[in-house]
Amino acid sequence: MASTVMATKPIALAKASPSLSPRKISIRAQAKPSSTSIPNLKRLTSKLLFSVPSIAMLAATPLPALAEMEKAGLFDFNLTLPIIAIEFLLLMVALDKLYFSPLGAFMDARDAKIRAELSEVKDTSAEVKELEEKAVAVMRAARAEIAAALSKMKKEMTAELEVKLAEEQARIELELAAALNNLEKEKEEALRVLDAQIDALSEEIVRKVLPTT
Amino acid sequence: MDVISSSFKTYNIWFEISGVEVGQHLYWQIGGLQIHAQVLITSWVVIAILLVSVIIAVRNPQTIPTDGQNLFEYILEFIRDLSKTQIGDEYGPWIPFIGTMFLFIFVSNWSGALLPWKIIELPHGELAAPTNDINTTVALALLTSVAYFYAGLSKKGLSYFEKYIKPTPILLPINILEDFTKPLSLSFRLFGNILADELVVVVLVSLVPLVIPIPVMLLGLFTSGIQALIFATLAAAYIGESMEGHH
Repeated sequence: MASTVMATKPIALAKASPSLSPRKISIRAQAKPSSTSIPNLKRLTSKLLFSVPSIAMLAATPLPALAEMEKAGLFDFNLTLPIIAIEFLLLMVALDKLYFSPLGAFMDARDAKIRAELSEVKDTSAEVKELEEKAVAVMRAARAEIAAALSKMKKEMTAELEVKLAEEQARIELELAAALNNLEKEKEEALRVLDAQIDALSEEIVRKVLPTT
Repeated sequence: MDVISSSFKTYNIWFEISGVEVGQHLYWQIGGLQIHAQVLITSWVVIAILLVSVIIAVRNPQTIPTDGQNLFEYILEFIRDLSKTQIGDEYGPWIPFIGTMFLFIFVSNWSGALLPWKIIELPHGELAAPTNDINTTVALALLTSVAYFYAGLSKKGLSYFEKYIKPTPILLPINILEDFTKPLSLSFRLFGNILADELVVVVLVSLVPLVIPIPVMLLGLFTSGIQALIFATLAAAYIGESMEGHH
């Protein structure tokens, strides 16, 4: 398995061979010197993939034609550093113009609008109280009006009623007087009739009682 | 040179895909100086991802945000909160710096872990997260250094240098040393975390492919996100510290 891990593409093999550094960690064999035999390689790589002796041995091999390629490695500082710095600064300006400023301004404006509307609502509660008081006053006035109208109507009604009452009373008294008159007349008549009868009766009684002589 | 190719014709395709070449870079040449091209290429991809997603999400902001806008509002609020906590009230001008730092590192790390870079074959070296290269992390750390120097000097002028003798002048060497260790620790923390995570995943994949490396990859996503946060927080903390008012 180790040997198959160590297998690489032929192109990568040839070009990668000069670029070695003592600190390089490599899973693939970066160079295959012609002097190394296969069993030798198997023995080395079977120990550890990252064994230093193997790398040292590979590094000691004669460099092929790509000798102008400098020693690479993990700590290879070159023009990339300022280029990345410049790219970062350009990215910062671009993001600021496209994203941070516009969206930030939009968010702030939205927040301010919401806050303004909220404070507006709080203010209108004072207005609402005013309106409430007005409404109460109007209600009170209306009620007073209604009460006044009611009492007025009551007075009128009672006056009318009293007039009617007086009329009726007068009529009844008249009728009463007439009836009384009638009764008196009948009484007198009855008395007269009785008187006449009393006279006749008394004569009869005297005739009946006294012996006739 | 090609002895092995003739001898090892039976190599397994899985091992070929899962190999890694550490310390191997694709070199471009400008003038007399070299560039690690694979770092540049992946950084361009990261920048493209950031700019395109920002442009798409922040077009036509709605009062009630859509999903993309909501995500970016959340990110902006997060960055603002981070800056405000570390820097204090004058955090406004520093939001682009801290935000870009956080987003660049976060997207780089996650792109290195999630995107299938291995599909693109380079003639030399391979594509991976741009932050696995010492140049990137040292560049970011030096920018942070410059930023906190600039913050201190612009706020306090030359009396900024009084901070070196602040508690007692005996601590002067330590304070000077701090100016070197701050960028050093920032850069190496990020570099070590990202490179080591990549290496661990690759070694595991080459040994036991398919399912077993997945927990390690998830851990890698988690720690790389944390590293972005730590870098941004520390940058903000250094800026805030140098802008601190008089005691």
